[in-house]
This record gives sequence, structure tokens and C-alpha cells, in this order.
Amino acid sequence: MNFKKTMVVYRKELLEVLRDKRTIFTTFILPIILYPIMIVGFNSIMMRQTTMLEERGATIAIQDSVNTEVSRSLVQGLREIKKFSLMPYSTSTPHLYAEKEIQAVVTIRDSLGSDGLLYYHVFIQYDKSKEQGRIVYNDLADSFTATKNKLQKEQLTLSGLNPELLNLISVRERDTSTAQKKMGMFLGMFLPYIVILMLVTGASTVAADLVAGEKERKTLETLLVSSVGRLEIVFSKYLTIITLSMLNVIINLFSISFSLKFMLASQAASMSGVQMPISAIFILLAAMIPLATFFAAVLLSISTFSRNMKEARTYEQPLMMVAMMMGMVSFLPAIEINNLMALIPVINIALLFKAVMINEYTLTHLLLTIGSTIILDVAAILVTIKLFTTEAILFRSEDEGGILKGVAKNKKNLFNPYNGMVYFTLALVALYYLGGYLQGKDLFMGLIQTQLIVIALPVLILLKLLKQNQNEVLRLKAPRLKEIVLVPFIAVPAAIIVAILAQLINAFFPFPEKYVEMLSKLFTMNQSAWKVFLVMAVLPGICEETLFRGFLMRFFEKYGAKWAVIISALLFAAFHLDPFRFLPVLLLGFLLGYLTIRSGSIYNSMLLHTLNNGLAMFVTTFAGAAWMKPLLKGEDGLQYWLIIPAAIVFVLALFAFHKVTEKGETQCAE
Amino acid sequence: MIKVINLSKTFPKKDGSMFYAVDKISFEANDAEIVCLLGVNGAGKTTIMRIISTVFQPTAGSAEIQGWDIKTQANKVRENLGFLSGDTGLYNRLSGREFITYFGRLYGIDDATIAQRIKDMATLLDMNEFLDKKIEFLSTGMKQKVSIVRSIIHDPPVMIFDEPTVGLDILTARNIVAFIRECKQRGKCVLFSTHIMREAERLADRIVMIHRGKILADGTLEQLRQISSATDLDDIFVYYVNQFTDEAEVLAHEF
Repeated sequence: MNFKKTMVVYRKELLEVLRDKRTIFTTFILPIILYPIMIVGFNSIMMRQTTMLEERGATIAIQDSVNTEVSRSLVQGLREIKKFSLMPYSTSTPHLYAEKEIQAVVTIRDSLGSDGLLYYHVFIQYDKSKEQGRIVYNDLADSFTATKNKLQKEQLTLSGLNPELLNLISVRERDTSTAQKKMGMFLGMFLPYIVILMLVTGASTVAADLVAGEKERKTLETLLVSSVGRLEIVFSKYLTIITLSMLNVIINLFSISFSLKFMLASQAASMSGVQMPISAIFILLAAMIPLATFFAAVLLSISTFSRNMKEARTYEQPLMMVAMMMGMVSFLPAIEINNLMALIPVINIALLFKAVMINEYTLTHLLLTIGSTIILDVAAILVTIKLFTTEAILFRSEDEGGILKGVAKNKKNLFNPYNGMVYFTLALVALYYLGGYLQGKDLFMGLIQTQLIVIALPVLILLKLLKQNQNEVLRLKAPRLKEIVLVPFIAVPAAIIVAILAQLINAFFPFPEKYVEMLSKLFTMNQSAWKVFLVMAVLPGICEETLFRGFLMRFFEKYGAKWAVIISALLFAAFHLDPFRFLPVLLLGFLLGYLTIRSGSIYNSMLLHTLNNGLAMFVTTFAGAAWMKPLLKGEDGLQYWLIIPAAIVFVLALFAFHKVTEKGETQCAE
Repeated sequence: MIKVINLSKTFPKKDGSMFYAVDKISFEANDAEIVCLLGVNGAGKTTIMRIISTVFQPTAGSAEIQGWDIKTQANKVRENLGFLSGDTGLYNRLSGREFITYFGRLYGIDDATIAQRIKDMATLLDMNEFLDKKIEFLSTGMKQKVSIVRSIIHDPPVMIFDEPTVGLDILTARNIVAFIRECKQRGKCVLFSTHIMREAERLADRIVMIHRGKILADGTLEQLRQISSATDLDDIFVYYVNQFTDEAEVLAHEF
């Protein structure tokens, strides 16, 4: 790559972007005027409003059905509050309350206790959803408490007791959070959201212009025939987007901090002197840069894919929606960053911000967040380069239509990716609702019903209805003896490898306790072992393979065998609705897909699936046996060293399978 | 010079079959010669030019610019050719001078040389008045002059013009035509495409007729007249197209 030429393009792009009035407005002017108006303006209005409400008079209806000295002094206490005008309860009171002429209704009743004492009950009826209602309630409650204390003291004194008896125990709060931390909590909630929002919006305006805009204005070809490579073009445009989005964020943050300071200065002194520590700012910047570059790469690939700016903006919308929703996670009080969360893009940055703001983050979280974002970033930039060097995409003609139109045209053929995704979604919904319902009623029967009714049967019925050849579509072809013999030698080591992998994941990202509880329920069904084996191993082996390897994989075969296997495995992993098992199940999915396509027979993968599930049961069942002890680690985990013999056997068996099925390739070449 | 050998380009069609945009084409264009690619819209002219200028990769065959291979020495090829089309867009927020300087820098030319060349060309093309105005305020004619200077800022030995006068008014089109002649006089090898017979007739030393991705005829206007025994280029073109269609029909019957 020629660095000098990259910089020439970069400088020109910046110059051009900065000459665009829209960019100038959204990047510089808007944030500079928006926050002062929003924060300072909103704050002063709020304060004024609250004071007004506090001073505003309220009408209180009083229903004193007791009318003793005590109840009268309770009412008397209210009279001393000047802003209240009291009126006796009448038949028109409910109507007036509904019309908001009356802000509260106070009812005093009494009851005679078994100890012979007269108890007073005060009811306050008010509208808690109204700011004024809450203020009125507080004033009323304060007044009643004061009267209560006064009367109780009098009673005690009359009985010849020390009135201080009431104050033997006092409860006081001591807040250890500093003003700094309170501020951090507040900033940690809305800063991540704003930063993420700014990163995407700032980048998206520029990104759409940079490639899709060049296509639209017909300048791209001129640039491509000039003496600059495509790699240089991609990188310079990528740098431009990053620069602009970072600039946008920095200006926004500057404006926010300035406005906040101004707001605080005008408010109570308790918050004065609160500052964001310099180290926090550097950490935030360090975490923000990979995110900015990730967004830049994704937006650039969208821009490259689109034929014009309008199309680019359309495709950008979902990305922005998703990013914003993920950014909102910082508003959720219970969610804090952990190792797993640190791997989820966007969410990790939002939560990290929150943690940094209250100074409760770990280096591991920081590194995981930055690392995982950088990996995604590299993947996204590689996709962009690929798109930019694929002429069918860079020069998509106007009549070709967008993604959706292309899909619509594809519909004629039953087995197309669109139909596949629709079927998968329906199956997922059915699994969640119908399967959940069935298993809720009776776990054991529910599992059987789910496998049969939700997973396998619809496929068979659908194929009948559509007059498809079941044997051919589902690859219901008897496997050869050689294959069947080899499958166990693949299945057992594969199950061991996958199990150890799951253990490793568990070691780094411990399962939540609730999850472990739920899983253990599956193994303690009080059924005989062979029944559990049928339900947990054989049935899924047959039914799930029918759906995923038999049916769903067919929808994606137009992309070639490799992609059909990858996509069906991804769907298979997603179908398990379990983030902790996603990776192990995905790997298993690759293997199952390969076996089916390679041998042309689904029975191989059914056998492997059954053996794999059976092995997990086997380990749990015999965990107590003496001969299993040397293989186990902890209660039911496998020793890590087992992965070595497992890997050796696996590779050899898979190689043998590959050799044996050499001629079976015809099936997938179609 | 340009040398095109057995060049093919296919695009996949919706139904999975292949569309031959360019089908085994060979021709040459020498220095100080104007060669015209003549054909109706969709004949494959633009595709050929895009392949020669390294925007597209050929499916098969090859081409050379000044001896540089378009596939393996793309960068050298780009340095040796200037490209101009009728619907070339410009960066509206730059001035003409900034625009030309930008491309000059991309070719690795130093700023002093760029400035000198802009100065010479601006005087020649009468552009001094608007050279520092933003491009968005320029007329079509002015913009086209900026594009002309942009296309030869690196003084390339080969010039490629893809339908250079499409959508331009008569006066602007005349400027272009004059510029193409000027290029030839300076000894450059010129390849231009058009679907306008008169333009080909007036400018070209040699005409390469393209139809459905194939070459119908290649020769000087005189040669083509003799073979087809027609005088008007329109008639010559129709003569060749008919011959092509007849052959295609015969072929179709044979199978």
C-alpha cells in the first residue's frame, strides 16, 4: 500500500467533507448549541417548575368521621399549612377530585382494638403520577407525622412515662458514595448512549457519501482509473469516516461536559469540584477508537454495496437502530460488565463506560472489550476490501434492484435462502412458545412432543404437501457399511472435544446458577436410563437432523456446499437458544453438515448426533463409577488431557471418512 | 500503443447462464492514431474500455498499454493512460484547480509540475477565469474543460475516451473533438468510443465496429467502404450488422 497516495486521498476527502454545510452543521454546530440548550435550559425550566408546584396551593377535602380531639388536632395541623385550602367532604367531592379541582382527599377513621385502645387510620387519596400530587402527599404526610409525634409525647407524659421512650432507637443513613461517584453513576448511564449514538450518526452521513455518493455522481470510475490502488482508496475513506466520527464524539463530549459544569455551578454546591478523572477519559478514548473503526468499516461496506446514497441510507437504518438499542443497555440498572458481556460488541463498550465512570472496572474487561471489537473491526474491513474489489458489487447496475428485490425474484424456486430463513423463524417461534408450553406441563413428555411435533413432523408434512420427493430432499439414503463403522470413531472423540471446549468456556464465563439448575433438571427426570437415552439422544438425533441437515440445509445449497454447511450450523446453534452452548453446538453443526453432504446420507449424521448426546448422558450417569474417576475432573467434567487422544482419533477417523466417501461427492456438487 | 488480444468478459445472468459482454476481441491502436470503437448502445464498448483501463478484470485474454499488461501491471497501465468519458462526474465542493491537483498528486507528480501544467492548459483552453471557483458553480462546458485537463495532467501516451460527447451541447462537444485531434498531433495513441456515425467518420483513422461483444469489422473508412460497397457509414454499419445476424441465424439452424 502506498501511504503517500492514501494520505492524498484522505486529505482530499476531509477537505471535501468539511466543505459540506450539512456535515459542518451536524458535526460541529449542532452539538455546540444542542447541549447547552438541552441541559441548561431543561434544568432551569425544571427548577422553576418544581418551585412553582411547591408553592402552588392545593385544595384538600377532609372527611373526619371520628371527630375526637385527636382527629381534630390532625386536621388542625393541616390548617397551619398556608398553601392548603381545606374543605369538608361532600357528595360532590369525588366529582371535584376527578375534575382535578381537589388534589387530595383525607379520610380519618378509627377502630377499637382488642386491647381497648382507639386506633386512628388516616387515608390519603392522591394522584402519584402527578408531580403536584407527590408534593401534596409529602406535605400531608409530614404534617400528620408531626401531629402524631406531638400527641404521642403528650400521651406518654400523661401516663407518667418519659416521652423519650419513643426515640430509643434511631435509624440514620450515612452515604459513602462521593459526589464524584454519584456524578459517575449519572454520566455512566447516559454518556455511553450518547457516545454510541454520535459515533454512528456522525459516521453514517459521511460514509454514505464516500462510496455510494461517488457512484451516484459518477466520479468513482475516474478515481479507479487514476494511479491509486483500491486498497489505498478503501483505507483513506475508512480513515476519513473514523476521523469525522471521533471528531463528532469529542465535540459532543466537550459540549456536554461544559454544559454540565455550567448547570452544576448554578446548582447546589454539593456537586461542585466534581470532575471526570483524566485517566477515565483516556480509557474511554482507548475503548472508543476500536468501536469507531468498527462502525466506520461496517458503514463503509454498506456504502460500497449500495448503488446510490439513498440506498446506502436505507441500509444504514437497521444498523443504527440496533446500535442505539444496544447502547441503551447502560440505562438498565442490573446489568454490569462481565467476561461474557465484554465480548458482545457495542454492549461491551456501553457497560465498560458505565463501569469506568464509577471507577469499578477491571483490566480484563477493558482488554476483552477492546480485543473483541478489534477482531470484528478487522473482519469488517476485510469485507469492505472484498466488496470494493468485487466488480459485480462495485458496479452493480441500476436495474438489478436491492437485496430485497433479488430475494423476491428468487422465490420461484422453493429451496431458496429466503424461504429457508422464514421456515427457520417459524420453527424457532414454535419451539419457544409451543415447545415451552409442552415442556412446562410435563418435562419428559414435553421433550418428546417438542421433538416430534415441533421439529420433525412439520418438515415431513410440508414436503408431502409440496409434492417433494422426501427420500431425495432429506437424503434418506442408506449409508455404506464403511461409513457407519467410522461414525462412532468420529462421534466419540468429537463429543469429548466439544465437551472440553464447553468446560473451558465455563471456566472463563461461568454459567449463571439458575442456568445450571435448569440443566440439572433435565438429568433428574426420574425415568429409567434407557427412556432418557431415547428422549435425550435418539429422538433429537433423528428429528433435529431431519430439520437441520435434511431440510434447512437444502435452502442454502445454491451458495455451494461449504456455505450450506456453515449456514445450517449457525441456525442449528441459534436454535438451541443458549449463548453458553452456541460455540460447541456450532462446531457440532459443521461436523454434522459435512457428514451429510459428503456421504449423501443423513443417517450418518443422525447416528453421530445420537452418539454425541448419548455420551454426555453416559458421563453423567457413570460419574460415580470407580473406573471413570481417572478421566474426570471435578464432579462431571472431563480431564483436559483427554483432548489429545480425542483429537488424534478424530482426525484419523475423519480422514478415513473423507477417503471412503470420495465418490459420494456427486451429491453436493449438484 | 494499445494491444488487445482475445479479450473476453462475461457477466453472470439471473438465470445462471453467462452473458458475453465482450467475446474474444483483438485489435490494436498505434501511436499518433485515432481508433474508434463504433457500436450501438450495449454493444460492449464501455466494457472493453473499462477492462483496458483496469477498472474491470477480463474473464479471458489480455491487453497491453505501452507494453504493460493490464492484469499484472495495472498500476503502470494507469500511469500511462488518460481516461475521459462524457458523463464523468466531478467533486463539486472542490475548485477546478484543487480537482486537477488532486489527481496530479495521485499520479505522483510534484506540485510545481502540476501547477505549471495547469497554467499551460488553462491558457490554452481559456479557463483562467473559473479555475478557482467551486466546481458546483461551473457550467457543463467549463466542467468538461476541467475534466480534460484532469485526464492529461500526467501527460499519458495513451488516451481513452468513452462516449466523450454524450450529453454535451454542440460547443462543448466541439472542444472535445478538437482536443482529441490535438492529442493525435502530440503523437498520442487515442481510442474513443461512440455510437454517432458522423463523429466516427470525422475523427477516426481506423474504425472497429462492435456488435454484441464481437468485432464486425476493423479498417479505415476507405477499406470498409470498399468491402461493403456503400459510401455512407450508416449504410456500412447496417451492412455489417445484417451480415452478422444472417450468420447467427445460419448457426442457429445448424444446431
